[in-house]
Amino acid sequence: MSDKRDVDDLTREFIAESQEGLDRMERCLTELELRPDDGELVGEIFRSVHTIKGTTGFLGFDRLEKLAHTGEHLLGSLREGKLAVTSELISGLLSLLDGLRGILALIEQTGGEGTRSNDEDSELIAELTALNGHAPLAVAEAQHGEESGEAHEASAAVTTSASMAAMGNNDKTLRIDVDVLNRMMNLVGELVLTRNQMLQSSMDAANFPELARRLDSVTADLRETVMQARMQPVGNLFGKFPRLVRDLARTCKREVRIEFSGQETGLDKSLLEAIKDPLTHAVRNAVDHGIEEAHVRVLAGKPAEGCVRLRAFHQSGSVVIEVADDGAGIGIERVLAKAVERNLVTAEQAAAMSEREALQLIFLPGFSTAAAVTNVSGRGVGMDVVRANVEKVGGSVEIESKMGMGTTLRLRVPLTLAIVPALVVRSGGQSFALPQTALVELVYVPKRDAQSAVEKIGAAELYRLRERLLPMVWLDRLLGLETHCTEEAHGFYLAVLEAEGCRYGLVVDDLLAPEEIVVKPLSSVLREIGLFSGATVLGNGTLALILDIGATAARAGVKPTEQETEVELVEVKTEEAEDVSFMVFEERVKERTAVPLNVVERIESVPLTQIEYAGGRTLLQYRGELLPLRDDGNLLEEMEGDGQGEEALVTILICAHAGAGGQHRIGMVVRRVLDVSKGRMLDESASTEGMELALVKEKLTMVHQQFGMKAAADWKEVA
Amino acid sequence: MNFVGQNAMSAVDEMQDESDAVSLCSLFAGSESFGIDTRKIREVLGKRELQKVPMAPAYIGGVVPYRGEVLTTVNFRALLGMEENTAASCVLVLEDEGGAERFGLMVDEVGGVVTVNTRMLEANPCTLESRGKWLFDGAYKMQTGLLVQLDPKRLRPSKLAETGLFKRGGTGAMNASTDSR
Repeated sequence: MSDKRDVDDLTREFIAESQEGLDRMERCLTELELRPDDGELVGEIFRSVHTIKGTTGFLGFDRLEKLAHTGEHLLGSLREGKLAVTSELISGLLSLLDGLRGILALIEQTGGEGTRSNDEDSELIAELTALNGHAPLAVAEAQHGEESGEAHEASAAVTTSASMAAMGNNDKTLRIDVDVLNRMMNLVGELVLTRNQMLQSSMDAANFPELARRLDSVTADLRETVMQARMQPVGNLFGKFPRLVRDLARTCKREVRIEFSGQETGLDKSLLEAIKDPLTHAVRNAVDHGIEEAHVRVLAGKPAEGCVRLRAFHQSGSVVIEVADDGAGIGIERVLAKAVERNLVTAEQAAAMSEREALQLIFLPGFSTAAAVTNVSGRGVGMDVVRANVEKVGGSVEIESKMGMGTTLRLRVPLTLAIVPALVVRSGGQSFALPQTALVELVYVPKRDAQSAVEKIGAAELYRLRERLLPMVWLDRLLGLETHCTEEAHGFYLAVLEAEGCRYGLVVDDLLAPEEIVVKPLSSVLREIGLFSGATVLGNGTLALILDIGATAARAGVKPTEQETEVELVEVKTEEAEDVSFMVFEERVKERTAVPLNVVERIESVPLTQIEYAGGRTLLQYRGELLPLRDDGNLLEEMEGDGQGEEALVTILICAHAGAGGQHRIGMVVRRVLDVSKGRMLDESASTEGMELALVKEKLTMVHQQFGMKAAADWKEVA
Repeated sequence: MNFVGQNAMSAVDEMQDESDAVSLCSLFAGSESFGIDTRKIREVLGKRELQKVPMAPAYIGGVVPYRGEVLTTVNFRALLGMEENTAASCVLVLEDEGGAERFGLMVDEVGGVVTVNTRMLEANPCTLESRGKWLFDGAYKMQTGLLVQLDPKRLRPSKLAETGLFKRGGTGAMNASTDSR
């Protein structure tokens, strides 16, 4: 029976089912250790083993059955409350699990369970029986008799059992909802029908556009359905980590708990496979090197039990999987020292490095080879491999670490391998695709500004984007393409890209439409160029190369920037860029001026006579306080000059300004209030001192930004 | 079987005909003619517009879409050190037995299929320069001139990159890319 035989369908199904059962059992076991009193968990584990035992008897795998039987007996005692959940018991059950898995794998590969003698599992069985030692002896004895009897029956059954042989890898099969499969079939049917119709009609037939539209919608539906079928919850991958963490924690003598969130996040099956190893590596690193030993943790004022958090979530078209530990974190100085020692960077380079850049060193190949590194730096075994694997599927890896607080490793992978949203650009007469995920914003520099917009430090060209200098990379020059005359005709576009912590402006001649592109791999020779991550066929049938944003940055010499400050700045900018409500009024003749609506407290009409002057300042007594007035349009002078007398009323906006030393108010003299509406701030570059430009209702408007400051300061002086 | 070789075959030769005869597809680059075993040719695409790949080695003509794949195409003229000739270019799709690496070959023109006897293959002359030795298997004496046999295995882009014989010329991109890695 150790002969290689065909595995029949029944056995194949049994193996698949048993493996699922065992996976479930594994999860339950690790949970059971946390919640020993959970009867439901014990029940679940019992059922898994029981099912295996029952089916094996039927199929005639007596070795498997014997082991399952012993386990079932032990679990039976546990279920009846005769045994307490101890760490040894869990370990014993886990080795039972491994034993069962081993036999299943053997059956899958060879078709037989490889029984040569009858005592292969005797050690394990003895261990399990010993664990069950608290159970009444009589039961054990009866059990023993029953067991041998059953084994005998089973071996008889074996001789008549159906034949079996090697079966495909379990990873290569996938469970699909029949509904999804039916829908796919329907759509394929529709596709065939549409094709038939298209073949019968000609290009200029009246219904051709209609057919093209239908083809489009069927294709889109079909694509979506196939994608849906390929989606697997990340939880499938997470499921094996509790066991891994438990085993590792025991070998490393650490107390570690694992937490999950976002298990339901869907990810393409092939991607799930691709990130399995990197993720396992990351979790292992977190337990092994990240989390400190219990006594060290207590000394550091942290709970003795460390925690590894696995989090999966969607973020702008990609799935992010985070492995965070609350361990010691990575010592930057040590990383740098090690990198210098290994000749990865020079001492001068190291000294000039930002914290973020230094952390990136961990991903360098060669950083990780020696175990000594891990002792010093706390992290870094094969991180280059992790990064390489994730990048192979179009993802990226980020690391964040705070000394004493822990380390977070972030794997960012695209939702699907095949299709990514991209922006198609032209440079040097060729089309290139830029993945949208790396695209931050687009800037158009018109012809007339092209000269002045580019600023230089030495040979490096920079663009001033909202008062921050952005390194410029000319795509055509970088790729050695011939510069086309189109550039002269209409300026150029700047695609602001960000990848691997680098932010730069890629100069291209023209922007074409954003497209969802199907990524096709390139041959190894072209991959070696290192600048293209693939190619794609565009809607017009031509090919476009997909630019590798990170590699392009590296080739152009763009270095990662300080992320923290950058993020803050960006936030401030976006706040400004957001719609703000403005009060629009006329201050100087024919000019629209505005203040943010939230600073305006009241609008008052005051007789001209009430306005007083002191020490060259214009003041108004307003509700018991002296209000400095601001009259940018020289309206007061004008009205006095008009001699309209006492009836003349002045419109004053009472604006509040929260500055140092509390709330200050000032009054603004305006000709008339025009409107309250939403608007958008324009580029700061266009602003003059103290004033900024905004578009309110598509009309250019001046905005007092720090209107309160000066006046308030003046007022203080007077007081 | 129709033999192009004019030599009279002995009875023993005829016994081996089956294994010795091979069909070659003739192709032209410049004034020379070449032959590739038809079993290695998957398809003749005809005249195609190639998408150039910047920074690629000079012998890479570009990429071309082919049955849902992006096919790397070798510019045969560049391999022979000839000037580029965009006016006439025909793309063949070549494939190994295993289908491991499929690639395109850009030549000036594709001719007909000729059947030759493998025993009639003349070895490369010893005066041939090293690149030619790498590319050519030898030649058949035809009525119209010599038909130089090519081995698709050696024309594979990855093989060409390995030999390092064809790095010269072009943009020097190869060096740049190896430096950065």
